[in-house]
Amino acid sequence: MTKQIVIIGGGIVGLSTALECRVRGFEVTVLEKSAFGGAATGAAAGMLAPFSEIEEDPDDFFVLAMESLRFYPSWVETVRAHTKLEFEYSNSGSLHIVYHEADRLSLESRKRWQGDFNVDARIVEGEELAKLEPALSKNVQAAMYYPEESHVYTPDYVAALEDACKNTGVVLKDKLGSVTVNEWQNTVRLLTESGEQVEADQLVICSGAWAKEMEEVFGLRLPVFPVRGQICAYETPTHPVSHIVFSPQGYFVPKDNGTLVNGASEDLAGFNTDVTQEGIDRLTNWNPNVFPFLEAETPFHEWAGLRPATQDGFPFLGSLRDYPHILFATGHYRNGILLSPITAQIIADRIEQKEDRLALDAFQPERFTR
Amino acid sequence: MTNKDVLKIGDKTLTSRLFLGTGRYPNPFVQQAAIDASAADVLTFAIRRVNLEAPDEDAILQHVKQKSFQYLPNTSGANSAEEAIRIARLSKASGLSDWIKIEVSVNERTLLPDPIETLKATETLANEGFTVLPYTSDDPILCKRLEEAGAHAVMPGAAPIGTGLGVLNPYNLSLIVEEATVPIIVDAGLGSAKDVTEVMELGVDGVLMNTPIAKAKDPELMALAMKQALEAGRNSFLAGRIPKKRYATASSGYDSLVSKPNNS
Repeated sequence: MTKQIVIIGGGIVGLSTALECRVRGFEVTVLEKSAFGGAATGAAAGMLAPFSEIEEDPDDFFVLAMESLRFYPSWVETVRAHTKLEFEYSNSGSLHIVYHEADRLSLESRKRWQGDFNVDARIVEGEELAKLEPALSKNVQAAMYYPEESHVYTPDYVAALEDACKNTGVVLKDKLGSVTVNEWQNTVRLLTESGEQVEADQLVICSGAWAKEMEEVFGLRLPVFPVRGQICAYETPTHPVSHIVFSPQGYFVPKDNGTLVNGASEDLAGFNTDVTQEGIDRLTNWNPNVFPFLEAETPFHEWAGLRPATQDGFPFLGSLRDYPHILFATGHYRNGILLSPITAQIIADRIEQKEDRLALDAFQPERFTR
Repeated sequence: MTNKDVLKIGDKTLTSRLFLGTGRYPNPFVQQAAIDASAADVLTFAIRRVNLEAPDEDAILQHVKQKSFQYLPNTSGANSAEEAIRIARLSKASGLSDWIKIEVSVNERTLLPDPIETLKATETLANEGFTVLPYTSDDPILCKRLEEAGAHAVMPGAAPIGTGLGVLNPYNLSLIVEEATVPIIVDAGLGSAKDVTEVMELGVDGVLMNTPIAKAKDPELMALAMKQALEAGRNSFLAGRIPKKRYATASSGYDSLVSKPNNS
């Protein structure tokens, strides 16, 4: 009989894992308590930018993020093979801009250690920089240019992924209110709020910041917390920006449809996803320092999501030592969109009992349990 | 205790001897928890990364508004006295703080401080009314020269930044303490609680750290450990340790060591 997989959480990680497992021949059900792509996923700007985001640490997390970026082209093909819905996947490249001569040292040292991983990293300035991104402020001293970094348009991408899951025969159930784990040590038995029973051979937890609710069920310590990320977007129909731009205070992602997504203000507000004036103001007040034309612009859209942050900054990724049929893929913080393809591969490999493609020790779900 | 053991730098009295860096934390949640647990008064951050127009809206500083910290902006990344002075002036002009940690490095692999440029910047900025805390090599003569140039505290490194190697030259550090008339704060290179206790027992006045807490598996718990280690080391220094001896001395009197028959 085909293995039955049930996935709790229908964000980008849950849906990607579902699609990959289904493509590999398993029966898959995804249980989502609210809406697909609703929490961290819904708030994401869709940046695939590990080199800009990880400035100092050549650790296993960096390798995970880099491998996921490099896996994206083939993953996008997989998704597109199963849906007619279109989504933007742009290899725009990125510019990490700096304002002081004193920033050069850190750019140099980043370029050196990332170079060991064959990362194409170039320090650009003056005319070369102005040519790459003409609308940048003249106060920008230099930038690290990463031609490999890319982005996806998240709302369309999630819709396409959901559709691909549907088309391949993944059972998708949303708006369940809550899902309770009643049995897990041998057979997995779950119960939804409406009283529906779901049985499976294997369980994958992809519930983001809500994974903490599973601590008691499995007797684990899972220090994962919601960090609110507030984002806004400008209408820029003339496409004045062409790269992802990282500044010390915020980032910009120019989308094909003419929106310029600008994030993020992070704060701690529990599970509250309201947008605050303070959170958006700190972005918009700063923005003219990056793009002077934004002085005259006002965002047309503002939103917020909850990023599942863990105590050591690494996701929970892998299976339980004594119960290999219980898997975790959560705590991706602000890198869920980037990490979803590699996460899906890693989980599907584990389910097929294949060898891990990367070192996963640092991401062990039991690492905080004493 | 009647005479409270306090640390004074410039005209500021501090309740904690642990100075904390704000970088490298995995996320703001963990950062706040660690800063709280450390009970630190002084926070340092790179000026080049800060939104000087609106420090309250800065990506990092917005998360530490709940307590009034003494900010110690640093000139990290500067490769000359001139650049360090330039960004120090920007920082002071922004109203952020008139404290400055001078950090001048030219080698991107070791990030060791350039002693000559550091001394130049210290002279200039002390004359301009800054409260100056230079990060420097652990050379006793150099540390004295920095003090003479007007440094309000001197911050020798224990080992290169972020290495966690612990104190590489305890002998030098103890000489620096012996000679100093301003506070000595060990900055950079410590790895664990034991390292903090070790330097505090040498008589230094405080410790500045970032990586060992921020990159610990549990930064909040490590912040607490560092705070406790610092207090233990400080108290041990003040209490005065026993001299080391080659052979054993009985810890209780001779009589009590003799076992006696029950009926004696």
